[in-house]
Amino acid sequence: MIKRLAFSLTLMLLCLTAFAQLPTGGVKGVVVSRDGRVPVAGASVVLSQGGAQIADCTTDGQGAFMVEALPDGMYSMTIVANGFVRADVNVTVDNGFVKDMMRLSLIPEQMLAEVDDSSFADFDMDDSGFTDNPTIMYGTTDVFTSVAGYGFSSIRFKNRGYESESQDIYLAGVKMNDALTGYSPFSLWSGLNEAMRSKETTIGMESAEYGLGHINGTTNLLGNPSAVRPGWRFSLLSNNALYRLRVMANYASGELDNGISYAVNLSARVGGNDWIEGVYYRNFSYYLGIEKRFADDSRLALFSFANTGQRGAQNASTQEVYDLMGDNLYNSNWGYQNGVVRNARVRKTFEPVTVLKYTASPSDHLDLSATLLYRCGWNGYTALDWYDAPDPRPDYYRNLPSYFFMDDDDYNRLNEGKYQWATESWTTHNKDFAAYQHINWDRLYNVNYNQADGRSKYAQEERHVDQNDLNLAASVAWFPTEKFTLHAGFNGKINSTENYKKIADLLGGKYYVNIDQFAERDFASNEALIQNDLDYFLSKGEAEKVTEGGKYGYDYYAHVRRANLWANGVYTLGSLTASLGASLGYESFWREGLMRKGLFAGLDDHGNEITYQGKTLTAYDHKGNVITSKGKSDVCKFLTYSTKMSLAYLLSGGHRFSLNAGYFADAPTFNDAFISPRTRNTIIDGITTQKTMSADVNYQWAGNGYSLRVTGYWTKIKDQTDVMSVYDDSQQSFVNFALTGIDQRHMGVEIGAKMPLPVQGLSLSGALSLGEFIYTSNPRMTTTIDNSAELINVDEEIPYWKQSPQYRRVVYNKTEQIEYGFRKDENGDYVKDDKGNYVLDPVIDGYQKHHVPSTPEIATALALNYRTRSYWFFELTGQFFAKSYLDMNPLYRTCTAVGGADGIATPEEIEYMTTQEEFDPAFLLNLSLGKSWYIHRKYNIGFSLNAQNILNNRGVRTGGYEQSRLITSMNKDRYYKFDSKYFYMCGANYMLNLYFRF
Amino acid sequence: MKRIISIVAFALALVSCNSLIEEFQPVFTTTYEAPKPYAVSEIEPNITIADLCAMYITATPWNIDRNLIIAGKVSTTDKPGNFYKSLYIQDETGGIELKIGKNGLYNYYSPGQTLKVRCFGMTLGMYGYKSGNYGGQGMIQLGYEDPTKSYETAYFESAYFIDSHILPGEVGEEVVPAEITEEQLPGPYDTQSTNQYIGKLVTLKNLTYGNKIFCLMYINSNMEKTLSANRIFLSDKTWGVTTWAMSENKFKEYFDSGLWDEVKIGNSGDYNYGTVGEPNDPGFATSKADIRAHSSAYSVSQYFKMGNTDIALRTSGYSKFSDEEIPQAVLDGTATVDITGVLTMYQGTIQIVVNSREDIVIH
Repeated sequence: MIKRLAFSLTLMLLCLTAFAQLPTGGVKGVVVSRDGRVPVAGASVVLSQGGAQIADCTTDGQGAFMVEALPDGMYSMTIVANGFVRADVNVTVDNGFVKDMMRLSLIPEQMLAEVDDSSFADFDMDDSGFTDNPTIMYGTTDVFTSVAGYGFSSIRFKNRGYESESQDIYLAGVKMNDALTGYSPFSLWSGLNEAMRSKETTIGMESAEYGLGHINGTTNLLGNPSAVRPGWRFSLLSNNALYRLRVMANYASGELDNGISYAVNLSARVGGNDWIEGVYYRNFSYYLGIEKRFADDSRLALFSFANTGQRGAQNASTQEVYDLMGDNLYNSNWGYQNGVVRNARVRKTFEPVTVLKYTASPSDHLDLSATLLYRCGWNGYTALDWYDAPDPRPDYYRNLPSYFFMDDDDYNRLNEGKYQWATESWTTHNKDFAAYQHINWDRLYNVNYNQADGRSKYAQEERHVDQNDLNLAASVAWFPTEKFTLHAGFNGKINSTENYKKIADLLGGKYYVNIDQFAERDFASNEALIQNDLDYFLSKGEAEKVTEGGKYGYDYYAHVRRANLWANGVYTLGSLTASLGASLGYESFWREGLMRKGLFAGLDDHGNEITYQGKTLTAYDHKGNVITSKGKSDVCKFLTYSTKMSLAYLLSGGHRFSLNAGYFADAPTFNDAFISPRTRNTIIDGITTQKTMSADVNYQWAGNGYSLRVTGYWTKIKDQTDVMSVYDDSQQSFVNFALTGIDQRHMGVEIGAKMPLPVQGLSLSGALSLGEFIYTSNPRMTTTIDNSAELINVDEEIPYWKQSPQYRRVVYNKTEQIEYGFRKDENGDYVKDDKGNYVLDPVIDGYQKHHVPSTPEIATALALNYRTRSYWFFELTGQFFAKSYLDMNPLYRTCTAVGGADGIATPEEIEYMTTQEEFDPAFLLNLSLGKSWYIHRKYNIGFSLNAQNILNNRGVRTGGYEQSRLITSMNKDRYYKFDSKYFYMCGANYMLNLYFRF
Repeated sequence: MKRIISIVAFALALVSCNSLIEEFQPVFTTTYEAPKPYAVSEIEPNITIADLCAMYITATPWNIDRNLIIAGKVSTTDKPGNFYKSLYIQDETGGIELKIGKNGLYNYYSPGQTLKVRCFGMTLGMYGYKSGNYGGQGMIQLGYEDPTKSYETAYFESAYFIDSHILPGEVGEEVVPAEITEEQLPGPYDTQSTNQYIGKLVTLKNLTYGNKIFCLMYINSNMEKTLSANRIFLSDKTWGVTTWAMSENKFKEYFDSGLWDEVKIGNSGDYNYGTVGEPNDPGFATSKADIRAHSSAYSVSQYFKMGNTDIALRTSGYSKFSDEEIPQAVLDGTATVDITGVLTMYQGTIQIVVNSREDIVIH
């Protein structure tokens, strides 16, 4: 790491030289944010001469100001706005003209630090096994967000505990959240930070001009060429936590005389990092856009962008593996092939997005916009596949020492000799032993070489989720009076996404056979049942032999149709602002299977049962409906609606109080609606809209360099669904879990504060997020055997989901034991059993609430910030995170799991199996510094260096999950859990950004 | 000064470049070169399989503490699923099972391939010995020490152990089975050290169906299997079982048909738990449905006669041919069969285990 830092510093040395500085001047103009060209309203503009104030004014809602009746002369103009760096400009007024300064751009405070999302937001956490993207889109001037937004992302902080689906991400007015999962789609434009820099954001429940928003803020990336900062911009970024190098070039014309603007942004992100072996980037991104402003001020913009390439992914492992490897960031996804590092799990994407946007202002009171957006391309994710051969994953549980020996005999793992062999293979860290600690590609190839018929037993598959996503968004902003504004719009989406897998690499073999090996375990004697593509088998008489590039396994379309109307009115009466908004929508989705699977053959084209060798293949579910894999499923239809209201009151002195409340009924996502979309059309029973109620109260104050925000929020989410497929040891089979009725409650406070310190340029800012994000219901779960759709449990409550009992302990005979007490009935009398004996129950001391996982409920940061007049800045931040919890597996909260093989649940079993793991608190220290120089007022060169986690704390868990597997105890009377898997935060890491602009 | 800085800078850049090579490999490597096939081991054996087996003392598993190397050709395959997590090798003198605890062994070790086995660190033990039964020999195997003493040997699963003890040699012609007569069959006192056919691939000809099976089933295989209350034996007759073995689905079919309703639950002499049709042990099953809930695949021994000697054809419920019906002509004794498989001993009786269904030839 030192070496690489040195390398980067060397680069810096070679690149940097020192220079001098700028400014310019005027009397009429528009104050905009440099970050996005968004008008800055309420900025104070002060003109002075020789130290005496001559005039002052405040910018209006469009950022405009005008100071009139000024004598000729030189003035110095100072612009101050909350959240922006103070700007001083000299203005010369001569010949009595009103000098038009055009646009005066202010630098947002945190932008000066260059630690905006251009640096890091592309965490691509789904590649690391996380299903969520970073949480707070930042770029707002909000004091809490400016500290927490970027600063908390290393711990995977989820704002208010919300999943990323709750955050609405728009591009040019079109909501971009993934049609199938709802996830925010940052990876579409990651690497294009210059082109996508301009954005508008709201926080929490605030509504936006482009949509009503949800409970977790909205962000609209403008994306059009005229919003890209004009001029040439080059930057070179190096970091050692994700990818080594980013090179970016950008040119934007600004608006030319003919009304045309155009912009180009190109970037490459390449290399690996110092912490996670096997994770690398090989990504190239482009953005091209052109825009024309017509005489009537209407605009037409066309732009297109994509981020293409590949990235190696990370995987979670158990603590045992991390300890054996001496590395909490060990990644089991890679291994050496001929001595070259190869990652088995690579995300390969090319998803171009094309946008056509038209805006017009037919009158002073009316703005119109319409956007047509199309997303297509492919998104592949490779993984190893194998048939009738040992599991190739190095950290597979049977390869670990704990599989052979555990200190506790009851695990029935008693062979110390084997334990030592396994331990030696994991703890000898040289290249000879890499074959046991990482994927042994050479062995996989050799297995394939050994197959006389050329059949690959190991192959690399590529799972595709290829979207065709067409969107139309239209919105209108109407300002009939000074006091009333109405924003309204329509959003429509047509999405057809093909999900399939194909063979990416046969690893030295000639073909892979398209059968379901899990079905083969149960139905080996019926060749038709094990076919992934039954139609092929029936027509050709044998299973398909798939070659590289060939589709196999599964193939289906997810179709989503969505239409939504929304409106939001804002009424201002003096200091009081009230708004009311609502939306009404219709959503439908269905599955269309393209491959007929042997297990779920369904009916043929004529509606007849399908048979093979006299045996009927067509299967029926418990309701008597045919289970089908091919063709159209039932259509799920949902009426969605939401409403929001807010009240804000602005007191003199800059004190602002506001209150927001909302109710949302959202459709479940496609991925949470089908029990096993890869194999069949079956939809979860009782699927319904997910309801969210939320309210927050806020207090904000800013002035004289101080700013403060305090927010209290309360959110209840009801009727969520979830599906998962796991191996269930109690059934000795792969099963599908379908959960319905998952309820959550999120409540807490957010505090952000900033204060100047007595030393010029020194300030202190802090953020505190204190919350409780808990499950408030015991969901119901239906379990089906994946191979047969046979129902194991129907709509059974998961009794230990929302909480787990904690039993009271007493010391008896010097050993701690669970205390038992006599059972009492409702009258307070002791209960006796049939034989007249008193009934004893374990005494419950209390319950552990179960929490929404993988985000700290206590997150706080304190930053000391120093910036000089010569454009140096320094920031030292201390962060503390606590009360973060592990993602729970529903299986461990069932009666089956706590009962063990004997079905009898003891208090010890219940406590052990159901208690949710809390992560240790973490303290982190980060340091940033940077400087920029201006050369001849035209050229700007600068750098910023971010050193994260400089205490090199390598024990910070950021997330993880419980496995679903169970170990039967020696006495067969209880189950033990498999070890959980964890993700850890990187140790000390840096990000260095050098930039050059003109 | 300037010069020193630039020299230092250059050196630093060079050093870091070197360490950057590995992380940039995948950036430049879009296709990966295929690895070379593994080389064969040149190590030479220093003891025969029969001589190794002769070092075994009955009921005394031996943790091999000297440098003994055997070599033999792989005679079995786990591809059709009748062998599982183990394979047999044989030399001129005999055959022995290697308890390699991995599935899909045929992917690594092809039939006909010579394997060299470094026995140091392995355990030589017997499976299937029954004391005091006039001989009662089982099979001498190579495995790993089992500290629980449940068995004389355990499986060895650690890839590192396997790689350092089992060294692949040349892939040659597949083993030619020895055709043997009834007289050449082993007796209850025989082991691999006294009868050269035990553990080897043999062909037994002109067998007739014995009209009985042996199958041990469990009410709940997640529970303690040694408990009498958990055990169901199908023995002495066929109990309507007409397949080589039974998968879980086949088990359910037999079970539901009522053919076994009269079978008593428990070890012989301990029939206190009711019958399959009417179980009455609250700890395991009180209804037929309780048993069905823990359905499983089961191995079956189908008995054949070679002259006057009983030969048990032992087939796994997980083999690909387990549910295949035994031809009616075999069942009613009008057809004879030739069976090629590994000749094994269990408690002094003779079993034969085939690699695949094709190893059973019906006349």
